Amino acid sequence: MSKMLSGFEFRRGTTIFHKMDPRAKLVYIVLFTALSVIFLNIFVLIAIFFSTIPIVLIARINSKWWQSIWGSKFFIAMIFLFNFVIFVFSPNLNLMSALLTATSMSIRFLALISIFSVFFLTTSPEDLTQSMVQLKVPYDYALTFNMAMRFVPTLSRETQIIMDAQKSRGLEMEKGNLIQRIRNYIPVLIPLIISSFRRAELVADAMESRAFGASKKRVSMFILTLGWIDAAFIIISALGFIGILSLRLFLGIA
Amino acid sequence: MITFKDVSYSYTPGAYALQNISLIIGDGELVAVLGENGAGKTTLVKHINGLLKPQSGSVIVGDTDTKKSTVANLARRVGLVFQNPDHQLFAETVEKELSFAMVNFGMPPEEVTKRVNWALEEFELAKYKEKPPFLLSGGERKRLALASVLSYDPQTIILDEPTTGQDDRQKTRMANLFKQLNSDGKTIIVVTHDMEFVANFIPRVILISKGKVLAEGPTEEILTQKEYLERASLLPPQLVDLSWKLSLSKPSISFEKVTSEALRMLEESRR
Repeated sequence: MSKMLSGFEFRRGTTIFHKMDPRAKLVYIVLFTALSVIFLNIFVLIAIFFSTIPIVLIARINSKWWQSIWGSKFFIAMIFLFNFVIFVFSPNLNLMSALLTATSMSIRFLALISIFSVFFLTTSPEDLTQSMVQLKVPYDYALTFNMAMRFVPTLSRETQIIMDAQKSRGLEMEKGNLIQRIRNYIPVLIPLIISSFRRAELVADAMESRAFGASKKRVSMFILTLGWIDAAFIIISALGFIGILSLRLFLGIA
Repeated sequence: MITFKDVSYSYTPGAYALQNISLIIGDGELVAVLGENGAGKTTLVKHINGLLKPQSGSVIVGDTDTKKSTVANLARRVGLVFQNPDHQLFAETVEKELSFAMVNFGMPPEEVTKRVNWALEEFELAKYKEKPPFLLSGGERKRLALASVLSYDPQTIILDEPTTGQDDRQKTRMANLFKQLNSDGKTIIVVTHDMEFVANFIPRVILISKGKVLAEGPTEEILTQKEYLERASLLPPQLVDLSWKLSLSKPSISFEKVTSEALRMLEESRR
C-alpha cells in the first residue's frame, strides 16, 4: 500500500515535464480524465492509457510510475470482479458483454491511475498550490489540498510505527477470521486518527504563530508564467481531446 | 542473553543503518544505548524483538534466533516501549490500555487484574483508571505507555527515550524502578540522549555511531573519553565536563570522585 502511494509522491526532477507549469498539466489531466469517464469503448480507453506513456518516458519516472500501476493490481482485480458479478446477475445475462464491461472498467481505472500518477510524480505541492492560487482558488482551500497531499507519506510512515508498537505488545494482525482481522486494526487506526488530530492542531498553532492569516492580501515569492512549451502541451492535449471526442460525435463510438 | 552476530541492516540499498554489529547483552544487565541522531539506535533495538530481522548475521534472544520467531512470540519475553506514546495508546480507559498486551498473551484474568493494579500504583496513574488515555497530559501518557509494557512483566525491557518530557522527580522514580526491576533479574536496555540520566543510573554503555559500535563498556570509562563523545555528537555529563575544565587527572561521572580529586589537587597546589 505504501509502495503504491509512493507512486504518487513528488520527486524533484529536471526534465521539461517537471519544469512545466502545473496549469498546463492540469489542462491535460482534466481533459483526459473527462475522456476516460465519457468513453467505455475498450480501445479508446487503452489509447487514453497509452497517452501517458510518452510523458512517463520524457519525465523519466518509469520505476515510480510502475509502482503506482503495479500497486493498484488489487483494486483493479476488485473492480473487475465487482463489475463482472453485477453484470452477470443482471436480468438479461450476457457473459461476453459482462466480461467486456468489466475489462473496460478496469482499464478506465488504470488510465485514471496513470494520468494522476504522472501528474503528481512530476508536480511539486508548492507549485500546485501556487497554480491553484493563480487560478483564483481561495488560498485556504489550495493550502488545505496541498497539506493533505503532503502528509500522505507522513501518515504511511506513522502507520508503520504504530503497527510496530502494537505488534510489540503482542498484537497479531493476521490472526483470526475476517471479522477478527478487521477488529485487529482498531489498535492501529485509533492512534493514527488521534495523532493526526494532534498533529493538525500542532501545525495550525505553528502556522498561526508565524502569522498565518494576519493580512488579507498574500504576496507570492514566485509567480508561475506560461511559456511556449506549456502552450504547446496545452494545444497537444486539446487536439488529442477533440480528436478522441470526435470519435463519439461523428463515428458514434461510445 | 542477547547476542548480535555480525548484524547488518539497510532500509535503502547501499546505505547501512547497521553495519557488522556484534554485541552481547547479558541477562540482568542495565545498559544504555547512546549515539547521535540517526546513528541506528532504534534500528538496533527493533532487532531484539524481531520487528526487524537482520539482512545478514543473526540475533539470538535466549535460545531463539529472531529470524525463526514471530514478533508476538518474542514480545512475550522482550517488551519494547516506543518513543511516542501516541503511537500506541488506543483503549477506552487507562485500565484497558494496561491490560491490552496481557489479554493478547492470554494471561489468566486474576493475574491481569493484579498486574494492572500494580502498574496503576507504581506509575501514579490510579486516579485515571477509568479515564481515556488521550485526556492525560504528555508526561502521563508517556508513563502509561511505559506501564502498559512493564505490566506484563517481560524478561527484557527496552525503552526508547523514556525520560523525555519527565520532570526530575519522575526521572528519579523511573530510575529507581529500573534499578529495582534490574535487581529482580530483568535485563533493561535504555535508548537515550539523556547523558545525566545515564551517568547517574546506568552502569554500562553501548555507543553507536553511523551504524557501527563505536565503543562499549562501563559508563565511566566511555563517557570520560572526549574523542568518543565528539564522534557520537554527545555532550559530556556535567561532572565530566567539570573534570576536564579542572584538568583532573582522572575525569569521573561520580560527584564524590570529582570533588575529592579536585580537593586533592587544590591541596597539592598549596604546598
